[in-house]
Amino acid sequence: MFGPLLNGLKITLKHMVTPGVTVKYPYEHRKVAERYRGRHILKVDEEGRELCCACGLCEAVCPSRCITIYGEEDERFEKSNVGKIAGFYQIDYTRCIFCGFCVEACPRGAIEMTQFYELAEPAQKGDDPRAGLLYYKERLMKEPPTLGEEGGAK
Amino acid sequence: MLALVVITIVKLLVLFAFTMTCVAYGTLAERKVCGHIQDRIGPCYCGPRGLLQPLADGLKLFFKEDITPSEVDKPVFILAPVLAVAPPLLAIGVIPFGESITLFGHKIPLVVADVNVAVLYLFAVASFSVYSIVLGGWASNSKYPLLGGLRSAAQMISYELVLGLSIMGVIMLAGSFSLTDIVHAQKHWWFVLTQPLGFLIYIVAATAELNRLPFDLPEAESELVGGYHTEYSSMKFAMFFLGEYANMVVASAVGACLFLGGWNPPFAFLSFIPGIIWFLIKLFFIFFTLLWIRWSWPRLRYDQLMTFSWKYLLPLSLLNIVATAGVMLWMHRI
Ligand code: SF4
Ligand code: SF4
Repeated sequence: MFGPLLNGLKITLKHMVTPGVTVKYPYEHRKVAERYRGRHILKVDEEGRELCCACGLCEAVCPSRCITIYGEEDERFEKSNVGKIAGFYQIDYTRCIFCGFCVEACPRGAIEMTQFYELAEPAQKGDDPRAGLLYYKERLMKEPPTLGEEGGAK
Repeated sequence: MLALVVITIVKLLVLFAFTMTCVAYGTLAERKVCGHIQDRIGPCYCGPRGLLQPLADGLKLFFKEDITPSEVDKPVFILAPVLAVAPPLLAIGVIPFGESITLFGHKIPLVVADVNVAVLYLFAVASFSVYSIVLGGWASNSKYPLLGGLRSAAQMISYELVLGLSIMGVIMLAGSFSLTDIVHAQKHWWFVLTQPLGFLIYIVAATAELNRLPFDLPEAESELVGGYHTEYSSMKFAMFFLGEYANMVVASAVGACLFLGGWNPPFAFLSFIPGIIWFLIKLFFIFFTLLWIRWSWPRLRYDQLMTFSWKYLLPLSLLNIVATAGVMLWMHRI
């Protein structure tokens, strides 16, 4: 009877002296894996042209139906090298499950995921308090802010 | 005469402050120990390393709404938390913290009241603790507190017996009921060496007496919501915890006095360290053990609890008494 009890005490003592695993979030941030699936980013090529050609594959594959795209002609090939861009690109982060299917579906490597995970937004004034979680193209093309810094929302 | 009154009052105040600090930091220690055992770090934001946490907790509890449910038996409901705090505060008065010190030509013993039947007094006072739980459970007029109260009545009565018997060996060896005499008797051999079984039984029974895990049946959260204090809120709720931690301090202090040699240093050459420091080290060692046990072992089932007390601990402690008596007689003859 005493053996197991003493063993239990030994184990708890061992854990007491090993350092804890606590991360003092929001003061410290946990290092995420390299392939962590965080907020998306829409990429551009070397000349700064948008890679996304509004093919709609990501929209089609998305299991939670949270991507909305409307294509747009780009006759003078200024913004794209194929003559077509997504005039409207929106990801609804109230619904995205960060599965990464969109990234895998994209034939042009136009959409990728970053390690950014601080996606909470304050409630917005107006009809839809969650409107801040609808990310439009401009915001999706910007690099996400550093973790823990103010302004992740902007 | 005046000097005596002043000295006693000062001693009382110091002791009260000490106990309350111990209680406050006992709660912090509990949370820290629990945190580290579970690979966390415990409270860490309030003050440096969380050291101001007890203050914050106290303030929070003061400002909480004090709810008295409409169906309770009001006088008893209010009396119960008071009864939880009073016994340990009464008990701590007879505990000798060290040998006498001489200050301004007065010889001041480091004990408020050096009663010659201190052990009896301690047990008499300690048994009051059960009233707070039973009355609190009864007055709440609600099913979970009632069950908790009843459980604790049965538990405390059984374990009090064992607790009393466990220290009989010590009293026989020291030949006195006075804590000061008992400590003096341990100058060379601490009673934990001559009474190891007694010490073990004392720790077990004290844990049960304090309603702490693995014997915290009266407040088993998973079965009884909160046990006897389910209906209490705000400062009344805090009083129960104050009582519990103060009781822990007393139990640790008594354990240190009876078994760990009180203020005696473990080796003669270490006697340059004041006795009171030794006493505190021992006190906090037992206190820590109580915390450690709590976060290591699971709770007993109720029938196991009773079986353990009546079928194992009670015979064992009786055996201990008989064996001690036998050895004493035999030594006497030689
Ligand atoms: S990660 Fe998954 S859910 Fe989110 S947008 Fe891409 S496909 Fe849709
Ligand atoms: S992101 Fe990729 S898959 Fe989605 S529409 Fe643009 S090019 Fe097609």
